[in-house]
Amino acid sequence: MLVYDARTNKMHSDAVDTAHVLVIGSGGAGVRAAIEAAGYGETMLVSKTLTGKGGCTTMAEGGYNAVLRETDACEIHYEDTLKGGAYLNDPDLVQILVHEAPQRIRDLLEWGAVFDVTDSCEVAQRPFGGQRFPRTCYAGDRTGHEMISTLVDRLHGTGVRIENEVTVISLLQEGQRVNGAIGLDRQGAIRVMLADATILATGGGTRIYDISTNSSSGTGDGYAIGYNASAELIDMEQIQFHPTGAVYPYDARGRLVTEAVRGEGGLLKNVEGERFMKRYDPERMELSTRDVVARAIATEILEGKGTKNGGVYLDVTHLPRSQIERRLPVMLEQFLKFGIDIRDVPMEVAPTAHHIMGGLRITTRGETTLPCLYACGEVSGGVHGANRLGGNALAETQVFGKRAGEAAGRVKEQKKAADQKMIEDAEQRICTFLQGEVPPSSIARSLQTTMWEGAGIFRNGPDLQKTLGIIRHLQTLHPKAASPANFAECCILQNMLTTASLVVRSALLRKESRGAHLRRDISQNWDPEHSPYGHTYLSLSREGIETRAVT
Amino acid sequence: MREISVKVFRFDPSCDTTPHLQNYLVSVKEGARVLHVLHAIHDEHDPSLSYRYCCGSGQCGSCAVKLNGQPVLACMEEARDEMIIEPLDLPIKKDLIVDMDPYLDRISSLVPGAEFRMPAPDEVEAIKPLRSCIECLACVSACPALKVIDFAGPAAMREDMRLSLDPRDTCDRVTEAVSEGLFTCTSCQSCWKVCPKNIEIPGKAIEKLRALANRKGLTLPRHEEVEKLVRETGRSVDRTGTTFLEQVPEILEPYGEVKATVGFFVGCMYNMRLPQTALDAMEVLRRNGIRVIIPKEQVCCGSPLIRTGQVEFLDTLKSRNINAYVFRNIDTVMTMCAGCGSTLKNDYQTPFKVMDINEVLLRYGIEPPARLPVKATYHDPCHLLRGQGIRTQPRELISKVVDLVEMPAICCGSGGGVRSGMPQEAAALGENRRNEIDKTGADLVISSCPFCEFHIKEHTDKPVKNVATVLLEGYREKDRRTAQKETC
Ligand SMILES: Cc1cc2nc3c(=O)[nH]c(=O)nc-3n(C[C@H](O)[C@H](O)[C@H](O)COP(=O)(O)OP(=O)(O)OC[C@H]3O[C@@H](n4cnc5c(N)ncnc54)[C@H](O)[C@@H]3O)c2cc1C
Ligand code: SF4
Ligand code: SF4
Ligand code: FES
Repeated sequence: MLVYDARTNKMHSDAVDTAHVLVIGSGGAGVRAAIEAAGYGETMLVSKTLTGKGGCTTMAEGGYNAVLRETDACEIHYEDTLKGGAYLNDPDLVQILVHEAPQRIRDLLEWGAVFDVTDSCEVAQRPFGGQRFPRTCYAGDRTGHEMISTLVDRLHGTGVRIENEVTVISLLQEGQRVNGAIGLDRQGAIRVMLADATILATGGGTRIYDISTNSSSGTGDGYAIGYNASAELIDMEQIQFHPTGAVYPYDARGRLVTEAVRGEGGLLKNVEGERFMKRYDPERMELSTRDVVARAIATEILEGKGTKNGGVYLDVTHLPRSQIERRLPVMLEQFLKFGIDIRDVPMEVAPTAHHIMGGLRITTRGETTLPCLYACGEVSGGVHGANRLGGNALAETQVFGKRAGEAAGRVKEQKKAADQKMIEDAEQRICTFLQGEVPPSSIARSLQTTMWEGAGIFRNGPDLQKTLGIIRHLQTLHPKAASPANFAECCILQNMLTTASLVVRSALLRKESRGAHLRRDISQNWDPEHSPYGHTYLSLSREGIETRAVT
Repeated sequence: MREISVKVFRFDPSCDTTPHLQNYLVSVKEGARVLHVLHAIHDEHDPSLSYRYCCGSGQCGSCAVKLNGQPVLACMEEARDEMIIEPLDLPIKKDLIVDMDPYLDRISSLVPGAEFRMPAPDEVEAIKPLRSCIECLACVSACPALKVIDFAGPAAMREDMRLSLDPRDTCDRVTEAVSEGLFTCTSCQSCWKVCPKNIEIPGKAIEKLRALANRKGLTLPRHEEVEKLVRETGRSVDRTGTTFLEQVPEILEPYGEVKATVGFFVGCMYNMRLPQTALDAMEVLRRNGIRVIIPKEQVCCGSPLIRTGQVEFLDTLKSRNINAYVFRNIDTVMTMCAGCGSTLKNDYQTPFKVMDINEVLLRYGIEPPARLPVKATYHDPCHLLRGQGIRTQPRELISKVVDLVEMPAICCGSGGGVRSGMPQEAAALGENRRNEIDKTGADLVISSCPFCEFHIKEHTDKPVKNVATVLLEGYREKDRRTAQKETC
């Protein structure tokens, strides 16, 4: 291990952690990948939080999409996903997702997951937005938590080495090939980890927005770390705004109100009591896709039909109390804690930044554009296109977690040596934080409001340009670490800035409205299926937007 | 925005020798949680403050801290002025960050077999209430047992029960639980009361596991003896002298006007070990207009059997007891043993209302006693405080007679069959009480449960008395003073 001692300002080089496979991130994707990789060789899992307690998987409430019934079909799931994704999805990835999601949920069941079941002992499924078949499997409204508990249980039996509370700040490379990572522990000491294959499973990053559903770890580290190592990212402009985030209390704003609430029959009403969705999508109403519902709610609020707290009503008071208690226990409990009994009064909700559909470009085996670097879960791009269907992300973590773990496991053993220059660079980088001037939390706050205002639900070229300018300025400020224990915060802030710039740059590259990305300054005469554009892409060496033949 | 003052536990083992509480003045928004106060301190006052959090919505279990001594989730608990924020009672790494591993590691994992069977709906329904655990370890922090004896803790017991309900698991979780300390639980209910997911570990896991252990012949020999005694005598303790029931008529009329009539359920301990205390209570009731009916055929409530997982004979006890009051058309049954009260209220389905004596006395009001020049402390019986939610009533009564000084409400170690089955543990918990009692400087300990009174007596040199006895002493003093005045 290579340890930086802040008091002596020296590196102690005794040993370096090595493993065959290094997995970064302990959410659904990372743990699934580690379980798989462990079958091939020594595997190490690092995570900036406690394993099982970090990331967004634990928070996922609604469910997991999988075709399990005779009357459903993978082809329909495929079509629903493409349609929902405004045909920006990578079709190969979607094929894999829909075909392997059922087997991956079976893995979970075999390992002990407790999903709700029907009277005939099949996994119960509920309807979710944008899908023609009720194919969302669930464990009450704590599906993600059920999954992660099961996965961590399983992980304990595999001999994977777990390093908790180590924040990865950069990748180690030999040429282009990735051969490990550099991290910081809670005290701010540098940790060097070498591996034959490295898997990024750091999850999403909508914490770059002022209002977000993400856990505190959703700061986009993986996008930034991958980008800095010259991996290519696609479709970073595609940010899903979940229509229903809580608006009260202020400090907990953005907290997700699960789509299951609408799945169970919850109604959206403006302050006049009107079920306004009939004006936006009369057919699917509340169960329309997230982009449509989010924009509808945002429009109602902008037009002054919102509540005093700046939301619209989401009402389940007409449902039987027992249904609310059994199917939505987490929601009931959370709102009760905040003084609202959803059995008697409607919730107040407004859109909140939820999911980054874009991410590292991957193949069906989870390979990124860099040798020996793999990515899975929310940090990767292409599966969800321009808009993710509720329930597809959890399935993605399992399907592509397994694939990435397997592919990484199969990488040949290599001689492991760290590039000392890269370690010195990292050391330099963190040391400057001690001389910094601005607390990282204040830079983060400026970034978050800037992003919400300039790169939110409704976008236009000039505002995006302005936003990029502000981000660039924020990048010139020197974040200040009060002590080595604050180094990680400073690195994370820099990751947020990088991720935000990727989002805005891609948003400028995509000169059309597509899925979650709405450009008010551009009019177009095509529907998504017939768009001439493919992925936006960004790397250290190139950027642009793919075009495609329109049929 | 409002300004609140908070105290936060600070300790950095790399430079501090002892921890200290640091004062902060923080501005918070309406509805802010404890976590938001910690953020405000970190962002605006002191970035070196360390604490854990992740989801911010009660789902990940990273953020549990003690708020004014009680474990809570920082992200869900509303911030209050003058609050004290401390780490959980676990090894401290820095400030509010504790080492969770020792107890997380003791939570078992499912070991699947070769053949898969999907759990049936009723199995899923049985497992679900135990499955919502977010492993925040609030319960572990609150558990008195594991502080004095090796015990994997409530969260681990919960998982053992869940696994034993799961058809996919292949291990013997009952034997495992026994070796992990199943019989060390005092059934104090603390774990359940602090659990943010409201998981009823004592009743839904520990007692159930003990019942399964019973079927495997793993019940502790001392507990088996108690069960045998109940079967043979209807009582959970043996006879050492004249019982309470032998000393009273079936109906005790009050001295003055009748304000209410209650049936009295005396319970084994007051009947056979502390009959004088029950007689004192009768005196207080008579003086306050309560007519008391005392069916002589009442038997043990069954609590010692339920807590130790020996439930075969339970239904017989239940119906005998219920009938004793139903035959007399009694609509309110009064208990004075905290354990019996909690059992009748929570484990029975009674056609009558059950009230603890403290509730009865306050409900109908009492004649003011004389004040005694005594400083006393009150020990909350677990089965009264957490089992029945009775906290203020005994305090109100006591304060009419003596000066009350508070001490933390922690189990004395007498419950759950621990006193008989795990005597060293019970003694260690009793000694902890001794320390707390000494800290208060009180000259008298008051409680409202025969088990606590009996047990604490062995662990303090101060007298230990029941609330009713103290009231009665107040009345006697009052009478003495009146008599004195008259003779003057
Ligand atoms: C509130 C909420 C509800 C959701 N509900 C659903 C749903 O019902 N159905 C559905 O399909 N999807 C849902 N989603 C989306 C889905 O949960 C996520 O997309 C998915 O769980 C992401 O999994 P992951 O493993 O990629 O990342 P995460 O679960 O977010 O895990 C990321 C991990 O990486 C670690 N990490 C991050 N950065 C670093 C670093 N620098 N160094 C070391 N470790 C790092 C984190 O600590 C964490 O352990 C929901 C999302 C949210 C926020
Ligand atoms: S049982 Fe409750 S208190 Fe204990 S760890 Fe689980 S959620 Fe926390
Ligand atoms: S009931 Fe009390 S002793 Fe038993 S596990 Fe819970 S906290 Fe510990
Ligand atoms: S931060 Fe996750 S439970 Fe509080």
